[in-house]
Parts: sequence; C-alpha cells; structure tokens
Amino acid sequence: MERADASAAVPGATRRTSLAIGGKLVELWRARELLDQLVRKELKVRYKNSTLGFLWSMLTPVLMTVVFSVVFTQIVRIPLTDFPAFFISGYLLWQFLQNSCQGAIHSIVGNGDLVKKVYFPREVLPLSHVLAQLIHLLLALVVLSPYLVYTRGFHVLLHLPTILLAIGLLTIFTSGLAMWFAGVNVVFRDLQELFVVIFQVWFYATPVIYPLALVRSQMGERFAWVATVIEWNPTTWFVELFRLGLYGPVTATGDVVSPLTDGAPTWPDPTSTLVAAGWAALMFVVGYVVFLRRARTFAKEV
Amino acid sequence: MSERRSIGQLAGAAPDPNQPAIVVDRVTETFRLFHERPSGLKERLYRMRRSSFTDFNALEAVSFTIEHGDSVAVIGPNGSGKSTLLKLLARILPPDAGTVLTNGRVASLLELGAGFHGDLTGRENIRLNGAILGLTRAEIAERFEEIVEFAGVRHLLDTAVRTYSSGLEVRLGFAVAVMVDPDILLVDEVLAVGDAEFQERSLERMRHFRDQGKTFVLVSHDLDAVRDMCDRAIVLDHGRVLFDGPVSEGVELYRQRVTSVAAPSVDRVRGSRRVAIDEVSLLGPGGELAVEIAPSTPLTLRVRLRAIEEVDVCSVGVVFSRGDGTHLYELHTTWQGVGVGPLAVAQEATVDVRFTARLLAGHYAIACSVTDVSGREAWAVVADAARFTVAPAPGGTGLVDLSATTAVTEGPARRMEGASRPIPLPRLQRRQARG
Repeated sequence: MERADASAAVPGATRRTSLAIGGKLVELWRARELLDQLVRKELKVRYKNSTLGFLWSMLTPVLMTVVFSVVFTQIVRIPLTDFPAFFISGYLLWQFLQNSCQGAIHSIVGNGDLVKKVYFPREVLPLSHVLAQLIHLLLALVVLSPYLVYTRGFHVLLHLPTILLAIGLLTIFTSGLAMWFAGVNVVFRDLQELFVVIFQVWFYATPVIYPLALVRSQMGERFAWVATVIEWNPTTWFVELFRLGLYGPVTATGDVVSPLTDGAPTWPDPTSTLVAAGWAALMFVVGYVVFLRRARTFAKEV
Repeated sequence: MSERRSIGQLAGAAPDPNQPAIVVDRVTETFRLFHERPSGLKERLYRMRRSSFTDFNALEAVSFTIEHGDSVAVIGPNGSGKSTLLKLLARILPPDAGTVLTNGRVASLLELGAGFHGDLTGRENIRLNGAILGLTRAEIAERFEEIVEFAGVRHLLDTAVRTYSSGLEVRLGFAVAVMVDPDILLVDEVLAVGDAEFQERSLERMRHFRDQGKTFVLVSHDLDAVRDMCDRAIVLDHGRVLFDGPVSEGVELYRQRVTSVAAPSVDRVRGSRRVAIDEVSLLGPGGELAVEIAPSTPLTLRVRLRAIEEVDVCSVGVVFSRGDGTHLYELHTTWQGVGVGPLAVAQEATVDVRFTARLLAGHYAIACSVTDVSGREAWAVVADAARFTVAPAPGGTGLVDLSATTAVTEGPARRMEGASRPIPLPRLQRRQARG
C-alpha cells in the first residue's frame, strides 16, 4: 500500500525524519534506472552534436590553465613549481562543483512539465547533473593524467585512493548542495541570478589559484580573518585533500621572498579527511531534507 | 514529512487483494493564489507580511473507494478538480488534508512523451521515457520490440526525435506509456490527441486493459468514450463530489448540468430591438408557479411583452427543449392563426400558451421569442425563459409520457403491490449526495 497523508511535519521528530529519508533512499535506489538514463541523456546531449564532443568540453579547463599559468607565473609570481599542474588539481574539482550546481539549479524549474505530469523521486533530476559531471571529471582526469604523471612523477598514481576519496566526498557534498539549489530555486527564482555572483566569490575564497599555505603565512594580524574565512570554507578541504594526492603538500615560511617549498604527493592526515567527510555529510543531509520538504509541492509551484 | 510509507510496503508493490485499490478519505487540496506572486527574494523580504493571496480549494473533503477491477470515470466542468484528483492518486501532489491510499502499482498517463528529449534518438527516448514511467531496464528491453511495433517507428529508431512529426511523437509516447503494466492506470484526457485511427487503437488498448480486470481511472470530456469505457462515474463540481454511481446516470447528470450552467438564468430576461419580453412565468393547474411537476400536468406559460416602439402584428413563439439541448417542441402563435398586436409604444400584451407536459422525469427548458408574422425577423428572444423539472413517477421511463397501460390478455397474471419505482432522477440522488 502506498500511503500519502497530510499529517504535518512535527519539529523535532527526528526518528520520523530519518525514517522518511531512509524510505526516500530506498525509493531512490528503485529509481536508479531513471537516474542512469538521465545521466546518459546529460552526457549524450552534452557531447553529441559535435564530433569532438568530449574534447570540446576540455577546452575550458585547458584554456583557464593556460591563462592562469601565464598570469601567476609571468605577471604575478606565485613561486610554485609546475603551476599548471597545481592549478589543474584544484580547478577540476571546482569545475565539477560549479557545473553540477549550475545544471541542478534549473533542473526542477526546467522540467516543469515532467514534474507536473509524472511521479518519480524528484531528487533524480539534480542528482543526474551531479553524476554526469562526475563522469566528466573522471574522464578529464584520465585525459590529463599523462601530463600530471610527467610533471609530478609516478607516485601520483600511488595516491589514487586519496584522489578518489576526495572526489567521493566532494560528490556527496555537491549532491546535497545541488539538491538545495534545485529545491530552493523553485520558490526563490532570484537564486539563479545570484548564482553567478555566489560562485565567483566562492571561487576566490577557495584555494584553487593560490595555495592555502601561502594564505596562512602571508596574512598579517589585520587580515587574519581572511585565512579564517578560507579555512571555514568547506570546499577548501576537498581541494586540499585532492591536491595532496595529485600535486603534493605545499608549505610556506612566513617570509615573502623565499620560494614556497613543495614536496611529492603524500598521504592526508586523518583530521583534514574527517573535516571534509563532516562537511560532506552535513551538506548532504541539509540539502536532502530541504529538497524533500520542498519537493512535496513542486507540482504546484513549478 | 507527511508521505508515510513503510520500507517493506515500498519493496512489495504487489496489490493486496483484500484491500480496495484506491481509498480517498476526506481529501482537501488547497492552492494558494497569489494576487501578485512574490517569487523573488527581494519581493519576499519586501512584502514579508503583506503578500496577498487567497486560498482556493481545488478539492474539498472528497471521499470515495475504488475496488480492484473498477473502471471509473471522473467527469466535471473545467476547474472542477478532476486533474488535481488524478495528480493526488498519482502521488504527484500530496493531499493538504485527508488520506490517499493506493494499493498496487500505479501508472499515470497524464501526458504522452513526458520527458522526451529532441536531441536523443527514438531508441534512446524509449528507454528514457520508460524509465520515467517507472519501468526497469529488463522490462524496457523485454517490451522494446512491442513498443516499436505499436508506434510504427522502426525506420526512424536511430533518428533524433526532434525530426519526428508531432503525430509520430505522440504515438511513440503512447506506445511506451501503455507498455507500463500497472495494477491501477490513471488516464487524463490523453485519448483526445491523435487521428481517428490512433484514437481507436488507444481506446482498444484501454478496453483490453479494463477487460484484464485492472483498475482504471479516466478523466475525460468525451462523454461517449466515458460511457463506453467505464462502469462508474464520479462527477465533480467545484472540488466536491456531486455524484458517484453508475456511469449512465453520472453522464446524464453532467450533461444537464453543463447546459444549465451555459444557459442564462431566468432573471436575465431581456428584450432586443423592438419588443421587450418583461416576464415569462410557468403556471401550474392552480395558477401557482410550477417548478417541479408530475408527468402530464397541464401547464400555462404566461408571456408578458411590451412594445418598445410601435410594432405591427407579431407572433410569439415558444421552444421546448430537454436539458441537454434536444429540441422537443416548437410553436408560434401565427401557426395557429393568432397574431399579437399591432401595439403602440409601451403597450403591453400577455399571451398564454396552454399545454400538457407529456414528459417524463428530467429537466426541461423553454425559450421564448417575438417575431414578425412571417417569422423572419426576431424582435425579442429569451433563450432560457423558463425551466421546469418533471419528477419521477411510476408508470414508465424515457422522454415522452405515452400514458401506456398494460394488460395480460391471455395466461395467468398477478397484481403486484407496491409497484417498483422507475429510475430515479439524478437530481434526487444529487440531493442525497449533498446530504
């Protein structure tokens, strides 16, 4: 028996909420075929209409790498070896996050007809964007791996578990965030206008083009809060974790002139891994709960 | 979270034969109509406490139970809540009050080809659409050939759907949709699309489904299809259940309701051009206003008219029709050699039309007109001048009271006490339904 009734959500009824999420996850599992088809659709539509399909989609990260490398090694000097490898190891993750959310934010509103006419677990719509971007990220990594191995050495391959862990945790984080954006955008349409600004600021608040170590060592008393903001930024932890496996640790001394020392890729410490995992879990639960609350009335509001 | 389903129930989608297929219990669905919908953050903040809206109940305390194998039509005028009801059954909307229970796998054909993507090929879209409708990969693979066959798209399977004609797209959508093999099928007006051949085929498919003993809920304005497909009708009006019973009575009630809503009410008696019809009244044998009468009651239709300008001799005509618009009887005074007038400005005249309403249970309407003698020029017309209802009475059913009597002229006979009642008037049931 499928049952739907109108008993309102009781605040503090954690057991029922967790039960509801459990039930929803089972339902999501049963909708995996739909999720699979939607991901295929995303990828096909994205790559289909051009022969070079996938390669075209690599153009943005490659161009960005060239531009930022020129700017930060020739004009503004960030003394790092292999800056392109450093940049790529942060930018790929960032692109995954941003593109996932960008696709997801329109996923409910853009599929209004579907949402109004057919029942299916609505979360498959934003999640299909996240998974399509995940596949894209993995493909991009495979394509770029020769370059990374060439510049950073073969031990990059040894750190595959760390890299995959970082990707896995960020996927969970992004799923939560994507659902949050998709759900909230149905009621607050302004969100999609704010989106560009939010992500612009967020990009610079994440150590993608600069190493976190540099911020920690360079910010004086007056700007200590900047370092605090960056450290409280959840995406910092994913990027750091990912970069540790793909590029290696970056350390800096307090002196501006001395070059940054960087070493070979190494294993992450448990604390930062736990922080990343914590952020991932928190974002997923918050995003999912908000989404499910909103999802009840999507058919009325879309 | 108000959608409560236990995990065990989710896993086993097989219907429980001891439970009804669908139970709708005191369901209310409210839509909030914003007068100026604050959809942005700024507006939200700005008019935090002032957002003006009215709540409108698309459904109000609706209750019914549908057993396995029932074929039920939901009919009613636009905006009566039909589609909302179907969305509740399909779980697209949660109820704002009350409970909806469905027992078995539910599939809804609320839109054909929902989620088709133009850039994907026919083959890819069949898989995607099937998944949207809840089919598993194995089920899609198993039915793939049948879908292609039914839609007749074999030669276009690897062509992008955006190049398909709209008719072809609908056909493909339908082909996928009907391959879903649910225990409960919900259909919303999708039969109205496509050419005649396609409609016939889809109706055939629905009949087949019904004959398999599956539960079937259809929303449609096509009353003939409804009568053909369903055994039971639920008539909705303004979100309330007006009638729930045999399909023929439901359809008849709805027909009458549509015509009574469409026609202007009696108090809107208005004249046009040269003569005004001031008042039309239907009087019973004792001179009282007749509203509900017994079959074959002698009646008088009194028409009071007034000349707006000076007119020559004119003719007063009356037209009797049944609630659904069936033309029953027409008479003009000149046909009987009677003219009215000539009339001076503002001069009044009263015409009595005496007749016997040899009609059986039903709702009837009388239209009234004033024309010139030849009947070519209408000087005043009132489309819905008077209405009356003939109450059910023993003796016969149908349209015309032929006052038949029966006698057994040969063989044994028995006099029955308490003659069985004829089919009651839907209106009486309507009253009962309203309690």
